[in-house]
Amino acid sequence: MNELSANILFVLTASAYVAASAIFLRFLVRGKGDVGKLGPRLIALGALLHAAHIVVASLVLKVCPVEGIHFPMSVASMMMCVAYVFARKRLRVEVAGAFIAPLALTSLMASRFVGGGAEPGEGIKSFILPFHVTLNLFGVALFGLAFSAATLYLVQERFVKSKNIDGMSRRLPPLDALDRAEHRFLLAGFPLLTIGIITGTVWAKRVEAGATSDILRAAFGYVTWLVIAGVLFLRAAAGWRGRRAAYGTIAGFGFAVLVLVLYLVRKDTPHAVAVQPTSTDVRAPSAPILSRTVVP
Amino acid sequence: MVVIGVSHKTAPVDVRERFAAGAEILPELLARLTARPELEEAMFLSTCNRVEILGLAKPGRSLEDAKQAASRAIREALREQIGASSIDDLSDWLYEKSGDEAVRHIFRVAASLDSMVLGEPQILGQVKDAYDAAVAAGALRSHLARCVHRAFTVAKRVRNETQLGAGIVSISSVAVDLAKRIFGDLATSTVLLVGAGEMAEQAAKSLGKSAKSIRVCNRSFERAATLAAAFGGTAAPLDQLEAELVISDVVVASTSSKTFVITRDLVKRVMKQRKGKTLFLIDIAVPRNIEPDVHKLDNVYVYNVDDLEAEVAQNMKARHGEVALAETIVEAELSEWAAWARGLNVNPTVVALRAKTRGVLVAELERSLGGRLKHLTEGDRAALTQMIESATNKLLHAPTTRLKHAASSSDAGDLVHAVHHLFDLPALAEASDERDRDSRTVKTTSEAVPALEGDASNDRLPH
Repeated sequence: MNELSANILFVLTASAYVAASAIFLRFLVRGKGDVGKLGPRLIALGALLHAAHIVVASLVLKVCPVEGIHFPMSVASMMMCVAYVFARKRLRVEVAGAFIAPLALTSLMASRFVGGGAEPGEGIKSFILPFHVTLNLFGVALFGLAFSAATLYLVQERFVKSKNIDGMSRRLPPLDALDRAEHRFLLAGFPLLTIGIITGTVWAKRVEAGATSDILRAAFGYVTWLVIAGVLFLRAAAGWRGRRAAYGTIAGFGFAVLVLVLYLVRKDTPHAVAVQPTSTDVRAPSAPILSRTVVP
Repeated sequence: MVVIGVSHKTAPVDVRERFAAGAEILPELLARLTARPELEEAMFLSTCNRVEILGLAKPGRSLEDAKQAASRAIREALREQIGASSIDDLSDWLYEKSGDEAVRHIFRVAASLDSMVLGEPQILGQVKDAYDAAVAAGALRSHLARCVHRAFTVAKRVRNETQLGAGIVSISSVAVDLAKRIFGDLATSTVLLVGAGEMAEQAAKSLGKSAKSIRVCNRSFERAATLAAAFGGTAAPLDQLEAELVISDVVVASTSSKTFVITRDLVKRVMKQRKGKTLFLIDIAVPRNIEPDVHKLDNVYVYNVDDLEAEVAQNMKARHGEVALAETIVEAELSEWAAWARGLNVNPTVVALRAKTRGVLVAELERSLGGRLKHLTEGDRAALTQMIESATNKLLHAPTTRLKHAASSSDAGDLVHAVHHLFDLPALAEASDERDRDSRTVKTTSEAVPALEGDASNDRLPH
């Protein structure tokens, strides 16, 4: 198990996501290709390679992927792909792969190339942390799927409203299926996010987190929860479906991504451990590897 | 013959609905049309996709004059129909065809070649209804009636000899496809039919297979109940429309109401009760039943007949080969019709020529039989009468044949005039009256009229 294996897995994962993205894009724009089988299979393959890459890279770096903050976006996108593979047929959202594959690719790249990287210091590690991170990542993965369904809903809704029902509209899932899928993904992700928020609050109190970036992340976390809660509540109570719910879902996912990005670009804080580049880096094939050094 | 109207090809539904006329006002409309001195016969056809008047010009000084007078009369009738002070601003929407073009048009319309959904079967029934209404009103009597009836035969040929009607996508089934674009599987959707006419029945046939349940809401509860029972659905009177909309997902409106049955305010109230659940409304009525602004509401989608055209375009591409075959049939029928119709124009001349020749010979024979041939027996007299008959036939065989051959050529008119002049036959207007008497054998319904059977002349239209 070395950095070369991690790099090979990284390249293979990225290739699978690129191929899936191309197939979905070709289908959407030109109406050609088989998105019923090949596209989802490539995403499934990508998720498998992605999981292998995370395991190998975390072993090489000696970082727990769900405890640290090294892989959050990467893990979330991998989970999103897995959830898509299992839910796509039941919810009739195969074409959502057109968003899932590029999103997964972007997350994979961002987690590798963006940010200085920092890991939590030994003093702040707690049994709550992996629990908190895992739940949040599952939640974000499901919100990613809800986001994809919501975006496709808005596109399809625009076609149907403008009565432009030929062409691309034929290749998109039915409006109601997209709305239903978006709602179910939100419903599935919301309890995970809720527990994630609670555990995060407990954890933050325990380690007395108080840095500006910590507060900002927490604030965006609460906003994400509020937005998603609002979307679900208004849908149930006031009939906020369709376009309004789609906009709310997109906003909620946007805040969730913001939290992840803040983790990703996290600089040194009293609770963080910097990840310094050394001779062989699994995060960048041509760059030296990272080794973990506790920030003084 | 002149036809003027608007169709889905020339005018949007908001224009077409201004011209539309329900069955209840057709007798009055037809009476007004036939009261016009410029029109000999008329028929008013009003469907979802077209409103048009077919008129047969009264013979005038010239064919062109008669045609123009008929055109003006039909335009005036259409102006009255929309209650406008002038029809000029609507001229862009109108099409006008005359002569063979008009005949081709009615053949194509009946054969569903001019329909939004090619090959759809409803149009033939609608043309037959218009025919029956016109015959009942005394507006169709001879030539135009035959032409329309001939169109039925053309439609049947197209249906039997091409695949144009096979696996046909009707407006209703196109609407179902569109509903599936919104709801996916209709197995969980409730379909509400507002109106219980033929279109509603078609919609029920298309939707019955895939929808969870069908509900029928109609002004006449009895009709709603009959239709609902036929498709295992539930009926409701029209005053329960709001409650029905709340529990339905797909609504197909096809009433003959002149005003909006489903308004924006109504749907706004309904959507509150539905908690924003998607509502898809298909308005296949002309005039429209659903206020267009309803489409602006969130999660509400309204499509009218014109909006279904994109779906239909796909259908047309697939039927291109069958369309070409059907057009060939129409052209062949048109040629036969034109030859027959032109032959009909020389018939009065042939009849007049025979009458004159026979009259002269019989008169001469009578005079001789009263004088020098007084001594002849009854048998000899009969033989002489038979001889006169044979002589008339032999003498006129060549001119009759040549006149009929020339009937389909452009110089037929000159030849007819020459014969009239040379043999001092009655004037052409009188001959035209003769033609009408010959062909005035129209039965009272579209089902009852055999094409050109019982024609006084021997010039039957070939089948």
